[in-house]
Amino acid sequence: MDAVERVRKLIEIMAAHDLAELEVEEGDLRVKIRKNIPPQFPPVGFGLPHLQHVPGYHPALQSPGEATEEAPPSKEENLIEITSPMVGTFYRAPNPGADPYVSIGSEVSQDSVVCIIEAMKVMNEIKAEAAGVIVEILVQDTEPVEYGQVLFLVEPAEG
Amino acid sequence: MFSRVLIANRGEIALRVLRACKEMGIETVAVYSKSDAGARYLDLADEAVCIGDAPPAESYLNIPRIISAAEITNVDAIHPGYGFLAEEDNFAEICEESNIVFIGPSSEVMRKMGNKVQARKIAQEHRVPVIPGSEGPLEDDEEALELAHKIGYPVMIKAAAGGGGRGMRIAHNDISLKNMLALARNEANAAFKNPAVYLEKVLEHARHVEVQILADRHGNCIHLGERDCSIQRRFQKLIEETPSPGIDNDLRDKVTSAAVRIASAVGYSNAGTIEFLVDREKGFYFIEMNARLQVEHPVTEAVTGVDLVKEQLRIAAGEKLTLQQKRVEFHGVAIECRINAENPSDSFRTSPGTITEFIVPGGPGVRVDTHAHAGYEVKPHYDSMIAKLIVHQPTRREALACLRRALGEFVVEGIHSSVPFYRELIQHGGYVSGEFDVRFVENLIESGSL
Repeated sequence: MDAVERVRKLIEIMAAHDLAELEVEEGDLRVKIRKNIPPQFPPVGFGLPHLQHVPGYHPALQSPGEATEEAPPSKEENLIEITSPMVGTFYRAPNPGADPYVSIGSEVSQDSVVCIIEAMKVMNEIKAEAAGVIVEILVQDTEPVEYGQVLFLVEPAEG
Repeated sequence: MFSRVLIANRGEIALRVLRACKEMGIETVAVYSKSDAGARYLDLADEAVCIGDAPPAESYLNIPRIISAAEITNVDAIHPGYGFLAEEDNFAEICEESNIVFIGPSSEVMRKMGNKVQARKIAQEHRVPVIPGSEGPLEDDEEALELAHKIGYPVMIKAAAGGGGRGMRIAHNDISLKNMLALARNEANAAFKNPAVYLEKVLEHARHVEVQILADRHGNCIHLGERDCSIQRRFQKLIEETPSPGIDNDLRDKVTSAAVRIASAVGYSNAGTIEFLVDREKGFYFIEMNARLQVEHPVTEAVTGVDLVKEQLRIAAGEKLTLQQKRVEFHGVAIECRINAENPSDSFRTSPGTITEFIVPGGPGVRVDTHAHAGYEVKPHYDSMIAKLIVHQPTRREALACLRRALGEFVVEGIHSSVPFYRELIQHGGYVSGEFDVRFVENLIESGSL
């Protein structure tokens, strides 16, 4: 295999393993190939064929809006998220001036109503669908919420 | 003019509407499903609201959630794009009731033209020829058989509530007619909640020629020329071009004035398209009216210099059309290729996955409308179109050279795309000559030439 062919193969390896930089020394051939992106870590070259793995930087994949199948708990492990099942306006109480459905420290069970989300003039009671204690309220009264938005964090009940 | 518009769509058309709004100083609200979260075009909107999970029924087709999103973001109007709710008269009506302007025709007009059988009748009433076929929805198989014998096989069974090339079946004889009728009725019911079907003769060697209409709410209606969309596969358009290389000026006049006649007659407003079939004997026949902006609108924009989405916004805001028919000029030839995430070598199977490299062509006369980019993940939930490549040059020959050059520059890696297919297709003599009909691509595929 001639030098050009060898370089071509190395480029293929780089692409296949998503490498940013590759340095190879084999006999009298010494090749260093770098992808045109700012490296996260300084590259280190060794004499023998050694693949320095530098994580490729993909700005598109690091967009904060990327949704995962199971959103991880925000601060601690095991906190249950109560998320909005619809688009609308969040209300903490059944009507203005009334006591809020829940506060921090409130105990909730599956059927406890935790808030109202108003959509198209209909007031929808939102159930906790979890058993435990409210430890955080992430939305303010009368704030607009979107589908899937986290409203409350619940520490699950023991047992 | 509106201060804020919600775009009830996704992908390239959402981006298209967003761009027009930005240039007009209108704030934009984008909606997205969970599987579209992270799409880069969403960052360009002033606000983005998640409206549900991936399935269209839970997101882009979910009227309560979209209206809710419109209410909490305080928009003046909603642009439906194309597909999804763009021709859902129910949605237009709910917008009207919620005091949100629907950017398109009224729900009443949409309903009229949405019923394909009724639309045929309206065309006939206004001296526009229609394809020989049924007067109304087919009562039963007997009626279908009788009619098929009268007009002659092959016949096309179409859904009365359908459109966009969906819910159509060809029958070549009595036996296949019976089978196809049952199939078509089921499909129509499933897709459009209405099993009513009607019959039309299949025209041999027909070209698909459609006319772009623009009408305001003050009774002014103009046309912006025609588009030839004969390059299709399974009733889905692949390449569209304007002007049509297959009609002369005489036929052009007839077709465009027929379109204006129909649109005016039904009191149409905003952008719309009237579709015709044209046969070898220079006969033309009305098929249907699409009461929305179409995918291929950029070719019309290229040759007329008119920004159709901006016109839509102006018309919806109640402005009078500033364009007069006699002032509309047509310059050059424009051709568009729909680039899909599919594998042409594997029966055009869709190819979802992550795009690893995406280099779009550029240079004079080249426009690419796309929401895709390197790192973008094409998901299976929605249609597979990832980009539209549009070229515009003074002559058709130059447009073809430009298209060839641009397709050569287009790089899509990580998924399959139809770019290689187009590179091959546009080399074929039949395409270069401009002498093709709606069967052109399928004939090539069937004969193994593509």
